[in-house]
Amino acid sequence: MAKVLVVADIKQGVLKGSTAELLSKAGSIGAQTAVVAIGSGVNALLSDLINAGSDTQYIADDPNLAMFSAGPYAACVVDAARQSNADLIWFGFSESGKALAPRVAAQLDCACATEITDITLAGGQIEITRPAIANKVRQRIKVNSAQLVAVVRAGAFEAREDITGSENVVTLSPPAPDLKAVIKELLSDAGGDIDLADADIVVSVGRGAKDQAGVTLVKALADDLNAGFGASRALVDGGFMAHNKQVGQTGKIVAPTLYIAVGISGAIQHLAGMNGSKAILAINKDPEAPIFNVADYGIVGDLFEVVPVLREEIKKVRA
Amino acid sequence: MKILTTIKKVVDVELNINVENGAIVENGLQYVMNAWDENAVEAAVQLKEKNGAETTLVSIGGGEDNTKIIRKGYAMGIENGIQIDDPALANADSFVFARVLQKVYEKGDYDLIITGKQAQDTDNGQTGIILAEYLGLPCASNVIAIEVVDDRHVRVSRLGDAGTEILELALPAVVTVSDSINEPRLPVMRGIMMAKKKKIDVMDLAGLGTTIDAVGGGALKSEIIEFMVSEKRSAGQKFEGDAAEITAQVVALLAGEAKVL
Ligand SMILES: Cc1cc2nc3c(=O)[nH]c(=O)nc-3n(C[C@H](O)[C@H](O)[C@H](O)COP(=O)(O)OP(=O)(O)OC[C@H]3O[C@@H](n4cnc5c(N)ncnc54)[C@H](O)[C@@H]3O)c2cc1C
Ligand SMILES: Nc1ncnc2c1ncn2[C@@H]1O[C@H](COP(=O)(O)O)[C@@H](O)[C@H]1O
Repeated sequence: MAKVLVVADIKQGVLKGSTAELLSKAGSIGAQTAVVAIGSGVNALLSDLINAGSDTQYIADDPNLAMFSAGPYAACVVDAARQSNADLIWFGFSESGKALAPRVAAQLDCACATEITDITLAGGQIEITRPAIANKVRQRIKVNSAQLVAVVRAGAFEAREDITGSENVVTLSPPAPDLKAVIKELLSDAGGDIDLADADIVVSVGRGAKDQAGVTLVKALADDLNAGFGASRALVDGGFMAHNKQVGQTGKIVAPTLYIAVGISGAIQHLAGMNGSKAILAINKDPEAPIFNVADYGIVGDLFEVVPVLREEIKKVRA
Repeated sequence: MKILTTIKKVVDVELNINVENGAIVENGLQYVMNAWDENAVEAAVQLKEKNGAETTLVSIGGGEDNTKIIRKGYAMGIENGIQIDDPALANADSFVFARVLQKVYEKGDYDLIITGKQAQDTDNGQTGIILAEYLGLPCASNVIAIEVVDDRHVRVSRLGDAGTEILELALPAVVTVSDSINEPRLPVMRGIMMAKKKKIDVMDLAGLGTTIDAVGGGALKSEIIEFMVSEKRSAGQKFEGDAAEITAQVVALLAGEAKVL
């Protein structure tokens, strides 16, 4: 029986939905499930970890792990992988996952794959699918090593409702701090915002909004919809939006029910971050903008005119 | 300080990519320097300009296009170039490239290795991080700023999940850079002319003092068995005309037809 170890995705003390999604997938391929939770105060998440569908919980709870540090975090994952004899070690899509997976794979001397969208186990042969070349192609990959470390792309797997786990806690000993890569400071992202990865609706703003006034106009639409508020790289580079709001290949990968692109041209690096969305609405004044090639609904028009009307009309249908 | 920058030749992602019988159709493809490696080159050149450094680039690959990207690196301001060209590396993956780069590192005496955060053809985002593991060096990935503290340390900013993390790395170290770190310069004519005459230190695996088996190329940890074209989203309904009217129409569809409001 295959054994899956899922690395819990914990942000600001909260267990993210991807953990249950990955554990659900593990269950559906008939694997034994374990989870590893790393951080400070993560013992408090035990019931969440069990409810997410894990049968064993490896926990590294230490004040020294309060801030992400790739060396010690990777050491915890490797420790849990060895103790659990996991064949498959999965990370949910996150910056820490992307930083850790290659380290863990190098230490375990096994294959590593990022952004996987599917995995099959037939007769002990692990096979995966993942996009490459900015999502233009997909690769089917055969894994030759006994183990695989993988980062699962956002939205690839769904959490099952009927999932349950059982309590079986293994406490990991705290790893040594990385004295060669010392964290000096963390400039925290503004709190209180809706996490783009969790949002059911994401509204993103692009260069078409021009300046802060345009951004504020589009932000009001996001607020009305209780949506995550993202941006193209053009606005992040322009200093109008924070780095953590960038959607795309180097930003966040999102797969909401509805993605609204406002004043965004639709460069492939942007599309690579949002083309898994269920429905896409694009607003752009250029009828030839490439974003319209992927949008389910397109409004050709000036966003400064369209967005206020859009807000009014949405209020009407939601009333 | 000695800086080693890694650059890879990749397909131009802006062009069409066709797949036939599970393989990418070579005909019509064009090759360029990986975009994130342009950021790596720019970062190295900026450090040289600000703090003084000797800059070297290394590229594993062959053919005229590979020479072209090395010359581009020169034209942007890199001083020395190493090219590892060996047909045995045709199917190499990030682990194999990392082993080859390890050999290159061990032959020089570098303080800082700068790689792109990811190659546009693989979208793996692995090679630099694996290289750091193999070398036992500190590593920061997804870096958006590098500053020299003293001759033994650099201070880097990286984008993490909780915000921007500021780390001090003891040299030698490896950083992988995001495109947010800088705007790669366009080479000027004088640089391009000078780059044409510069020597490239080309060698195969034997010249590097290793073999394909020693770098893991004989026993790949994974293999691509097939490429497929990604299902494209198809264009939906596009509305033009009076802004108020078409917006109302679209909202009705989002609520009724798509049921997403
Ligand atoms: C290695 C690499 C990685 C990258 N990663 C990312 C990434 O993660 N995310 C990302 O977004 N980009 C990324 N990019 C950049 C990407 O290629 C584009 O440059 C960027 O997405 C463009 O942003 P934009 O669509 O807002 O701007 P533009 O391309 O300038 O488009 C602006 C659009 O607004 C429209 N417009 C203008 N005025 C109005 C108006 N009044 N009303 C309505 N519409 C209007 C225009 O018609 C135009 O289509 C990356 C690039 C590289 C090379
Ligand atoms: N063949 C290669 N030659 C030189 N550098 C490479 C090569 N392959 C990968 N790299 C470096 O490693 C980075 C990450 O590659 P990848 O792991 O394929 O995403 C790239 O941005 C390059 O800087």
